[in-house]
Amino acid sequence: MDPKDSLIFEKGNKNAQTNFIPKLDIECDELEDIIPKNFIRDEVQIPDIPEVEIVRHYVKLSKINYGLDSGIYPLGSCTMKYNPKINEHIARLAEFSQIHPLQEENEGALQLMHNISNMLSEITGMDGFTLQPAAGAHGELVGLLILKKFFETKGVVKNKIIVPDSAHGTNPASAKMAGFSIIELQSNEYGEVPLDHLEFAMQQGDVAGIMLTNPNTLGVFDRQIKDITRIVHKYGGLCYYDGANLNPMLGICRPRDMGFDIVHLNLHKTFSTPHGGGGPGSGPVGVTNELIPFLPIPCIISIENGIVCTHDRIHSIGRIKAFWGNFGIILRAYVYILSLGAEGLKKVGQIAVLNANYLRIQLQKKYHLPYNRMCQHEFVLSDKDMPNEITTEDIAKRILDYGFYAPTIYFPLIVNGALMVEPTETESKRSLDDFVEVMEKIYYEAINTPEKLKKAPLNTPIGRLDAVKAARNPILHD
Amino acid sequence: MDFVPHDDKTVTEMLKVIGVNKIEDLFEDIPKDLIINGLNLPEGLSEPDVLKKLKELGEKNTIYTNSFLGAGCYFHYIPTLVDFVVSRSEFYTSYTPYQAEASQGYLQAIFEYQSAISRLTQMDVANASMYDGSTALAEAAIMASIITRKNQIIILEGVHPEYIEVVNTYCWGQDIAYKNVPLDKIEDELNQEIAAVLFQSPNFFGDIEDVSALAKRIKEKAPNCLVIQCMTDPTCLGILKPPGETGVDIFVAEGQSFGISPSYGGPGLGIFTAKEKFLRKIPGRLVGKSKEINGEREGFLLTLQAREQHIRREKASSNICTNQALCSLSALIYLVSLGKTGLRKIATQNFQKAHYVKKKLKKIPGYEILNNKPTYNEFIVKCPDIDSVIQECKKLNLLPPLSLSKYYPEMKNVALVCVTESNSRESIEKFIKALELANNNKEGRD
Amino acid sequence: MEYEFPDELKYLQTHEWVRIEDNIATVGITDYAQHQLGDIVYVELPEIGTTLKKGVNVAEIESVKAVGELMMPLSGKIIEVNTGLADNPESVNSSPYGTGWMVKIEIINNSEIDELLSVEAYKEIVKTEKK
Repeated sequence: MDPKDSLIFEKGNKNAQTNFIPKLDIECDELEDIIPKNFIRDEVQIPDIPEVEIVRHYVKLSKINYGLDSGIYPLGSCTMKYNPKINEHIARLAEFSQIHPLQEENEGALQLMHNISNMLSEITGMDGFTLQPAAGAHGELVGLLILKKFFETKGVVKNKIIVPDSAHGTNPASAKMAGFSIIELQSNEYGEVPLDHLEFAMQQGDVAGIMLTNPNTLGVFDRQIKDITRIVHKYGGLCYYDGANLNPMLGICRPRDMGFDIVHLNLHKTFSTPHGGGGPGSGPVGVTNELIPFLPIPCIISIENGIVCTHDRIHSIGRIKAFWGNFGIILRAYVYILSLGAEGLKKVGQIAVLNANYLRIQLQKKYHLPYNRMCQHEFVLSDKDMPNEITTEDIAKRILDYGFYAPTIYFPLIVNGALMVEPTETESKRSLDDFVEVMEKIYYEAINTPEKLKKAPLNTPIGRLDAVKAARNPILHD
Repeated sequence: MDFVPHDDKTVTEMLKVIGVNKIEDLFEDIPKDLIINGLNLPEGLSEPDVLKKLKELGEKNTIYTNSFLGAGCYFHYIPTLVDFVVSRSEFYTSYTPYQAEASQGYLQAIFEYQSAISRLTQMDVANASMYDGSTALAEAAIMASIITRKNQIIILEGVHPEYIEVVNTYCWGQDIAYKNVPLDKIEDELNQEIAAVLFQSPNFFGDIEDVSALAKRIKEKAPNCLVIQCMTDPTCLGILKPPGETGVDIFVAEGQSFGISPSYGGPGLGIFTAKEKFLRKIPGRLVGKSKEINGEREGFLLTLQAREQHIRREKASSNICTNQALCSLSALIYLVSLGKTGLRKIATQNFQKAHYVKKKLKKIPGYEILNNKPTYNEFIVKCPDIDSVIQECKKLNLLPPLSLSKYYPEMKNVALVCVTESNSRESIEKFIKALELANNNKEGRD
Repeated sequence: MEYEFPDELKYLQTHEWVRIEDNIATVGITDYAQHQLGDIVYVELPEIGTTLKKGVNVAEIESVKAVGELMMPLSGKIIEVNTGLADNPESVNSSPYGTGWMVKIEIINNSEIDELLSVEAYKEIVKTEKK
């Protein structure tokens, strides 16, 4: 498809259609009586486009886009699990989609948010939640601002945050937005946090806390997690849990028990809400009792008369988003948790780990597995030892040729040429076997016909694009 | 409900391949005392049962037939094409389009969104979205601070009170000082140490500012200070002069009015645009156009990623990762469904209907329009008794206007009224009736 | 991989090179650094007239997948920047010591020059990093 003559704007028409305009049913004055002439613009440069052209255009585009409903999407740290259709149906019901955030008759909405907060508390072991953050990174910012406020109210100056070198880029970026600077710890040969380095860093006295995900981005569970959180607490710091990798822990293990004080969750990962091509997501933050006073406003609390909303929190970090977080997404996650129940959630954790290890044990026969141990929901391969100078990028692009989506590439940064695979619990054995078969085929191609990988992808609507040209001379609109 | 596609036999087979006896063995790395005995939650529900439960919950929310409430979230007619497109599962179940070759559909759609927003706003660059209008404004302030290397900002009165709170929180995070200033005092407060002036137009009270004149005033006093405008209902751009022609450096807006249901306030859409010279400092994702390395075809890809957190990490100016992609797709479909004619007509209807209500209100004793400037689809009106207004509206199943004392306790008996194209003549007549009744109630009591 | 490191230049551990002529220092990134970053897409240069201390970040070099920082090798005032990089950022790759130069500094403190590395010392650093 050559985009040059197929942007939607090329499909305009001189005939304006007014299919979506209600009939004007009142007496009107001249526009110039209502608003000064010099405030009025020239015509908007968006053409009038016939309805059928719009439909065909976007149907065509959808067909050259790979979604999870098309096939396996083994992106590490993204948890691309099946998005239940019942969630979509309920989110569109008028009683949820047509309510205004400032309307008073909102008992159902408040109740829903109160209920899911309790469920998330049970799942994570935390004492209270805010549903305000609109994404995981937003949740990280909230969690770090809570840390900041916590120490401010104590009159203590702690302006550093520890992150491991395997951390997702949002962790240090969020810390910076909250005014902290970073101490990066090098993971040891098991991919875990070295306790002696941790203790040394904490001894300096200015560390507010640590940001960790466990299992980490290598997909391994840090067996010393209780020691890690103990050491941080010993020196007066707090522990932040990045919940991006919570999926394998559902019903198995809880961040609170590991020793964490603050947790953020990604509803668009662990709790099945759709990724939407990059959002909207939702990043609720859970805290211990001690930190509840610092949660952003407004808060939802349960009182005698029912559930109400309050702004009455003198130690709150303040407001972090207008209105109510991404309610439509929160609602979908609530339906998911209700649908699965206790048993279903536990099964998620178990099967997510089963599926990942099933892939790992087979793929490691051909591909280098830098951390050769039991993985949780994901594992990381690398392009080390690949013949003919085949890189991770080449492998990923060739996977596209076989009609699958590629795993995450070049992350985490601590593995050169990382290929991070997370199947999730909703992949069938058949789907996993197909993926293994393709990976094996590609391995043999790397040996025998490497040019197929070097030139890949060959079967997609477009070949590899010139990213350098795009960044040197950006064309960001038509 | 169960979305796991294995049966017990399959699970046993797979365990064997892995080389363990039971599922519990997969968690051998977890200290035994951390393993819980399941969750204390009710058992799962099937589809019909969960639907029933949610409907019961939903019944506790009132659905009004018509709304006169805006204040940052608006009822506009949403063309059916919007839901049709965003319900295509190839779009909504996909991930961020990092593998460009398998994601050309979505990448082109985002490019079209960026283009549509540029065309509408006449700003040089639009990003792929921020969370909402309030956080977009906050990130704009931070961006200005980074560009100018100054850490003070001015927020003009009239910005949505919740937006002001969000900006305050973000600024506190980065030690950026902020000050709320009335419009007539702006020259007194402006100096070379100010990174940006933030204002809203049409503002929270409905006033449309002369943005060109305001931008000029700011630049004359402090040439290096950035002019940042926010907007809560950008449907007005169907008629109003676009920010790109008024001297604004960064323009942000809440895009919920472009095809997104109110949905109790979220998800929304943070529209973020800026002038070309600030391109490399814009937060968020950007989709660009390029050519194949080994061919002639043109395609789309995420670009300028060196600005973002996954590359810059602690040196990034923003931590944003997941944004509001599907909402930007909704906005795109809204804009192209309406086209220039539709956008103009919708904006006109909003102007005309609000104007019509104002005229009617002026005839009811006890009500006084408080705006001195032109307004779009919102205005503020002094009422004899706001509680009575609210009561009478609800009796007629109308979502009442906002009582401003919610945000400004000193503004008693002032309503923020919103009238859009979705308010029929019939609903307007009911509204007028409600206000008349409210006035009679007050007179009856006096 | 053979990198080019001109003998007459001075170097920093952070992969900058420095050419000193009288009291003016010309600065850029080394052949090793440009190779690590990949194709350069953009260089953000400082404002002329700014005075900065040794060790402070003075410019940013962006490739598609990474960002590098140019550190001040010596304290001084920026008197010239390579505006040609705006249209030709690829010069940093093709000619890191020639047309890919980045800033010229008026040196404030001559004693700092002794702290710069010789080409041999820098080659050792690169050797260690490559392992």
